Amino acid sequence: MIEIQNLSKRYDDTIVVDDVSMRMEEGSITVIVGTSGAGKSTLLRMINRLVEPSSGRVLIDGQDTMAVPEDELRHRIGYVIQGNGLFPHRTVAGNIATVPRLLGWEAKRIGQRVDELLQLFQLDPAEFAGKYPHELSGGQQQRVGVARALAARPALLLMDEPFGALDPVIRSKAQDDLLAIQRRLGTTVVLVTHDMEEAFRLGDKIAVMDEARLVQYGTAAELLTHPAEGFVERLVGTAERPFRLLSLTRVRDVVEPGTADGEPLDASIDLREALARMVWVGRDALPVLDSSGAMLGRVSIGGILAHGRQAP
Amino acid sequence: MPRLGIAFDRLGSLVAALALFAAFVLPFVTYRANRIVSGEPRLLLHALPTTMIVIVLAAVIGAAWVAVLIRRPSVRLIAAAVGLVVVAPAVGLSAGFVTPAGNSFARVSPASGFWLLVLAFGLLAADSLTRLRFGPWARLAALAVAAGAIALLLLSGAWHDLSLLKEYATRTDSFWREARHHVLLSLGSVLAAVIIGLPLGILCHRVRVVRVPMLQVLNILQTIPSIALFGMLMVPLGYLAANVPLAAAIGIRGIGTAPAFLALVLYALLPIVANTVVGLDQVPASVVDAARGMGMSRRQRLFQVKFPLALPVILTGIRIVLVQNLGLATVAALIGGGGLGTFVFQGIGQTAMDLVLLGAIPTVGLSFAAAVILDAIIELAGRAHS
Repeated sequence: MIEIQNLSKRYDDTIVVDDVSMRMEEGSITVIVGTSGAGKSTLLRMINRLVEPSSGRVLIDGQDTMAVPEDELRHRIGYVIQGNGLFPHRTVAGNIATVPRLLGWEAKRIGQRVDELLQLFQLDPAEFAGKYPHELSGGQQQRVGVARALAARPALLLMDEPFGALDPVIRSKAQDDLLAIQRRLGTTVVLVTHDMEEAFRLGDKIAVMDEARLVQYGTAAELLTHPAEGFVERLVGTAERPFRLLSLTRVRDVVEPGTADGEPLDASIDLREALARMVWVGRDALPVLDSSGAMLGRVSIGGILAHGRQAP
Repeated sequence: MPRLGIAFDRLGSLVAALALFAAFVLPFVTYRANRIVSGEPRLLLHALPTTMIVIVLAAVIGAAWVAVLIRRPSVRLIAAAVGLVVVAPAVGLSAGFVTPAGNSFARVSPASGFWLLVLAFGLLAADSLTRLRFGPWARLAALAVAAGAIALLLLSGAWHDLSLLKEYATRTDSFWREARHHVLLSLGSVLAAVIIGLPLGILCHRVRVVRVPMLQVLNILQTIPSIALFGMLMVPLGYLAANVPLAAAIGIRGIGTAPAFLALVLYALLPIVANTVVGLDQVPASVVDAARGMGMSRRQRLFQVKFPLALPVILTGIRIVLVQNLGLATVAALIGGGGLGTFVFQGIGQTAMDLVLLGAIPTVGLSFAAAVILDAIIELAGRAHS
């Protein structure tokens, strides 16, 4: 668990982060979102002390980060940046081995860990371990960047616009991969982005920053149904709001008894996608199957729309 | 009307024109009755026995033809090599042919025609090597082949009758002593400049305030003409030698090797410091940020990340100063610093051009070889990740 207490950063007269307090739960993904210059990167970089706070403190599992030597602190925290920051003179394996080497792991253990991570990120060790970063595609570089950050099994992973340099299709895949890996490893993730879509998709909780201040901190549903006035409302977007709300709920949670004609929907997709499908095929209801192919019932347009409404 | 299927190569046409002009119009060798009188030019057609004339002309005309009409670089390279392999021994043979039997005072030197032929074939070879885009190892191999060919030419005795080799024969010992001294002076000064310059470069990179004044001072040093710098160093070093016994004991004197060495080190500093700064500065900020974020200490970032990434640029600086100092070391002879320049200045003093060449040609060869070798190293150092 990370606890940020009254954290501020000033450079001369400018205040970049203004008295932010928040708490990030163990094993969750927290997304810090905001426009550029809002102070979100600075906030993130104060967690691993790449930026020294002017005042306030950060506690990781109850321990003040200032009590730990900074390099030692960073060895325990994974760090991923936009454009990945891979070392161009080191191979994929050499890059991933960076922190284990700094920690003095044995060569054999490092080798095993590198192979394990490459497999986790669907990169064949035999093919990729010896390649240099410039020989990889953008998506592959990004995966190696995350693998490198996870090499020494950190409990906490900080990500600063990790998908910013990727094209939409690869970005979407990278987001899915991150979710899957995070669920599997139980790593606590703090991720900075300016992309609201990404925030809703990844964040267990979302922190919205504007002009150095934390203006709202809550779950996606809270942000949508009870946005803080002004900035968050605009950021969430009134036109997009109902659809974003729909995308937070899965079809399996709104299944009604009965049957319907047409091509069945998978129970795991979200309501936004279900609605899109129904509009496209021109039906008011569609049957729903679970992943094994068993019929669960049906879902209707009316049932879906009820979930996109403003909370009473 | 269809266009003629022949395309003339521009550089090749120039090479061909030069070669033909050199072979037919310019003198191939100069004959002098003794070492210092002015010589009489001999055309190629009068400088060799008939069979050799035929062979040389065949090689020249053949190479010219290839240069103009054949585009394939490998064929052009072979033509240039054949041209050189024929012309170089021929000039040696010509010396024996032109010198009257039993005359040991007469001197025969290669003349403008020979040099122009070498230049023309050299151009053709260099151009085809560039077009062949050899990798670093192949270039090193080509250099080794060229060095081997030159060694073979000299050891075979084919040039034995040339004035240049006669100058060499009378001072074999001092030639090798000065050559070794020249190389030690150049390499040693570059090594010292690297040892001093790298930390200075790192300092400039880290401490911004130091950078501008430091580079300015080194810049000014660089602009001092070499002879002036040698002269300027004579005063303080002479004073040091006269007043500090230890300095005199380790060989520091106002003239000789010490001021020469020091001047060469000073000249080498700017390119090394400047390239170190540029090399370290151009390491992408994201890479350094990632290194910091993973908990690399300042020292680890410098040695494990920044330095390896700056290495090709730093090596480029070292290449510049090595080539520069191999040439500048020639001037060191002027203040008694020794080196191949000794022969150059002796030769100028005696108006013996062959003696000048005895100093100058090896200097040019050394610089050229150093450039090729370091270029190959730079490419190898940067290849993995570019």
